[in-house]
Amino acid sequence: MPSNPLALTLCGVALNNPVIAASGTFGFGHEYAQIMDVSRLGAICGKGLTLSGSAGNRGMRVYETPSGMLNSIGLENPGVKHFVEHEASYMRTLGPAVIANLGGHCEEDYLEGARLLNGADIDILELNISCPNVKAGGMAFGMLPDTAADITKKVKAISKHPVMVKLSPNAPDLVAVARACEHAGADALSLVNTFLGMAIDVKKKRAVFENVYAGLSGPAILPIALRMVHQVAHAVQIPVVGMGGITSAEDALKFLMAGAVAVQVGTMTFANPNAMLAIIDGLADYCTSEGLQNLQEIVGII
Amino acid sequence: MAEVIQNEPIANGIYRMVVSGAPLGRAGQFHMLRMPGTLDPLLGRPISICEADAKTGETTFVYQTVGRGTAQFARLLPGQEIEAQGAYGNGFPLIAGNAVLIGGGIGTAPMLQLAKELRADAPSRRIDVYLGFREEAYLEEAFTRYADSVTLNIGGYVVSDVNFSRKATFYACGPSPMLRAAVIAAEQANASLFVSLEKHMACGVGACLGCTCQTTNGRKRVCKDGPVFDYREVQDAI
Repeated sequence: MPSNPLALTLCGVALNNPVIAASGTFGFGHEYAQIMDVSRLGAICGKGLTLSGSAGNRGMRVYETPSGMLNSIGLENPGVKHFVEHEASYMRTLGPAVIANLGGHCEEDYLEGARLLNGADIDILELNISCPNVKAGGMAFGMLPDTAADITKKVKAISKHPVMVKLSPNAPDLVAVARACEHAGADALSLVNTFLGMAIDVKKKRAVFENVYAGLSGPAILPIALRMVHQVAHAVQIPVVGMGGITSAEDALKFLMAGAVAVQVGTMTFANPNAMLAIIDGLADYCTSEGLQNLQEIVGII
Repeated sequence: MAEVIQNEPIANGIYRMVVSGAPLGRAGQFHMLRMPGTLDPLLGRPISICEADAKTGETTFVYQTVGRGTAQFARLLPGQEIEAQGAYGNGFPLIAGNAVLIGGGIGTAPMLQLAKELRADAPSRRIDVYLGFREEAYLEEAFTRYADSVTLNIGGYVVSDVNFSRKATFYACGPSPMLRAAVIAAEQANASLFVSLEKHMACGVGACLGCTCQTTNGRKRVCKDGPVFDYREVQDAI
């Protein structure tokens, strides 16, 4: 039997392909499992968790922009304990590798969350220091190299799972944050989370979102995200998972060529639930037409 | 994917699109409609089912052009394709006995399929329809196929036309002020009322949590757990 040209290993975890459902766009898999073949995905990142859970932000939460969307969900989630007791085992039944995404208000929340997640059957912990919509999302931790390194080091010391740190494109010096996380022991990096944006309702003469600012995602951010992935991937030795506006296999290939070993797809799933499956098919076709033994051969060629 | 069979204005800024292929579903459910292959606008638009005809396989959507997405829909010509995901959402329950349907503006659209299903479910039940429009009525004639009465209110408050003390199940879809008025009236009369809520949504399947609301039974997603709710559950969310 010929080997799977899309296969890869990420943080010691075997993935069937490099296409990962991005956190916050796929729940814990229940909803999309009803309408698409989720078993074909490389991995699923669960909804961002906070220690005690949250009802999320008030007011408008999603707002479309040219080729993209702003969101201010505010990490509505059932809490780490609920995830450990109910969702992790469900996600395991789906087939793809299981990634839990953990945010936090403060250091204690992150560490207690990481401790609780040791009791869950997950493959990778994605450390979210980049949610722009709530203080609890931890973007404060992800803005500067020192704070990012500090929380990464402490979570690494507690977690029995590999730790992939999800970075914010809003950091003034993203490459410095990436390097700091690597030095602090991160097993991988994922980037980018959403860009801080804004919308104004001119008729009502007020900001669309109660938090005023919100996170921008979708194809509109792709060129900037791609540039950032390229910069970070060339600055660190650990694997980088790229994301930001990917809608097609061609987009995914751009991120791989820029240096990402895998990609996450989020906003496009909202527009077309089958987009990730089409991307996987497209990547397989690419391997065939280019005569690649493994897609990883093109990682970082640019 | 569905093929557009017909797509014409039926009032100022209101279009009626008939498609053939995939869609269908039932009263109160919706489809995420989207221009095929386009990334701008990116997201599907939740459009409720106005009529579904299982025999012909045709589904009718009546929509209002409110932004760039719906403006694109309005330019679709017969023979062109439209991307449709669905049917999503829970739909209206068909409760035994008489029914009163209240539609405000574009909220009138899902009421037509509801009237059709209620009539098919019990040919002898009484169905009274109350429709409110700001300036111009539409769809009112179609309701006469299924309803015992159709009352129009143009420029006023449609809820004030309705007697909530009657023995019937009440169904309402329309703008928030209309729903709030219906909720107050239903509460005073201790009536049974189902409301269909509308919120901005990105995915339509319950994953993005863009449309959640606080209910008496915890947080619920309008797209997945709704859009139809018993008004007692979502009173604070309207």
